[in-house]
Amino acid sequence: MHEIGVRETINLFGLTFNIETLKMTWLAMGIVLLIACLATRNLKVVPQGWQNFVEMIILWLHDQIDAMMGKRGRMLAPFIVGLFMFLLASNLIGLVPLMASPTNDLNTTLGLALLVVVIVHVLGLYFKGGHYIAHFFQPTPVFVVINMIEEIAKPITLAFRLFGNILAGEILIIVLLKLMPIWMPIPSVCWLAFSIFISCVQAVIFTMLSMAYLANAVKEDHAE
Amino acid sequence: MIEINATIIAQIINFLLLVALLRAVAYKPVARLLQQRSDKIKGDLDHAEADRKEAEKTLEQYKAQLSDAHKKAQEIVDKANLTARQEHDAAVAETRKEIERMKQTAQAEIENERNRAFEEMKSQIVTLSLAAAGKVVSKNLDTKENDKLVNDFISSLDKNMFADLK
Repeated sequence: MHEIGVRETINLFGLTFNIETLKMTWLAMGIVLLIACLATRNLKVVPQGWQNFVEMIILWLHDQIDAMMGKRGRMLAPFIVGLFMFLLASNLIGLVPLMASPTNDLNTTLGLALLVVVIVHVLGLYFKGGHYIAHFFQPTPVFVVINMIEEIAKPITLAFRLFGNILAGEILIIVLLKLMPIWMPIPSVCWLAFSIFISCVQAVIFTMLSMAYLANAVKEDHAE
Repeated sequence: MIEINATIIAQIINFLLLVALLRAVAYKPVARLLQQRSDKIKGDLDHAEADRKEAEKTLEQYKAQLSDAHKKAQEIVDKANLTARQEHDAAVAETRKEIERMKQTAQAEIENERNRAFEEMKSQIVTLSLAAAGKVVSKNLDTKENDKLVNDFISSLDKNMFADLK
């Protein structure tokens, strides 16, 4: 990020793209895929080394999904693990000098949030049909307004929370580097460490909230 | 800074692409492997259970065979004991009978011997008495009357004197 708030854009087919965001997204995707390939090549029935770690993550995720979403949630497991790994990689590469997080662009976060919300509604309609629409009008039809506001707020809060955290982290790194003399690295190092923590936490939060929203749509209703 | 443009569509497509790739490259093999492993463990456990049952059955058979063999051996020993006792009893009875038979034979022989001795003695006594009497009264008695006299005497002897000999 060279100038705060100014993005390089290119025009393609009459559409405008933020080229830096796209480049960084592809980089993050490449990192995620590389890690995934390295971790899962040479799989054995008797696990060894890294395979233990990967299996541990997937089993933990399966447990979480089973607990939150029931058996239908299993088909969303690749989506959720992909979301988490992509967000983690995206958040963290922004902390490398001369690079930027794809998640410091609202286009990325809002895109992901909208994707999650669309999946929630599509799966909700698919699995529950009429009940899914009816539950917006409960307990009384008046509540449809509040429910609608809630549904609209979901993607917006998801998107802006992540976007704001990551963008603020990167801006403050630049500000601190410019503000402090070169022999005084302590504040920027502290902030960098905090940013690493924030990057992980925000990836977890986004993923967990997405899981909670998805669970709402996918989980079998025991009451009915 | 906050501006929504076509990047949002590109990012959605990027992310869906990433998920598809991840699913193909990483998630499916690992999930398949986990399934494979749990299947294998389950299969192994089932197999072990089957083996255990088989072993138990074999053990049961062996135990049954062993107790059968024990019973048979006991029967054989009992039979042998019984036969031996019967043979022993038979031998003892045979021996007793033999002894009895020998005793009877011996008694009969003794009886015969005694009778024979008695007869012999009687005739010798007669002869001796006749000779003695003949010499004493040769003059006044004939032989016939002498015989009668002596025989009467012997018979009276027989009755009185040999009664306790019999």
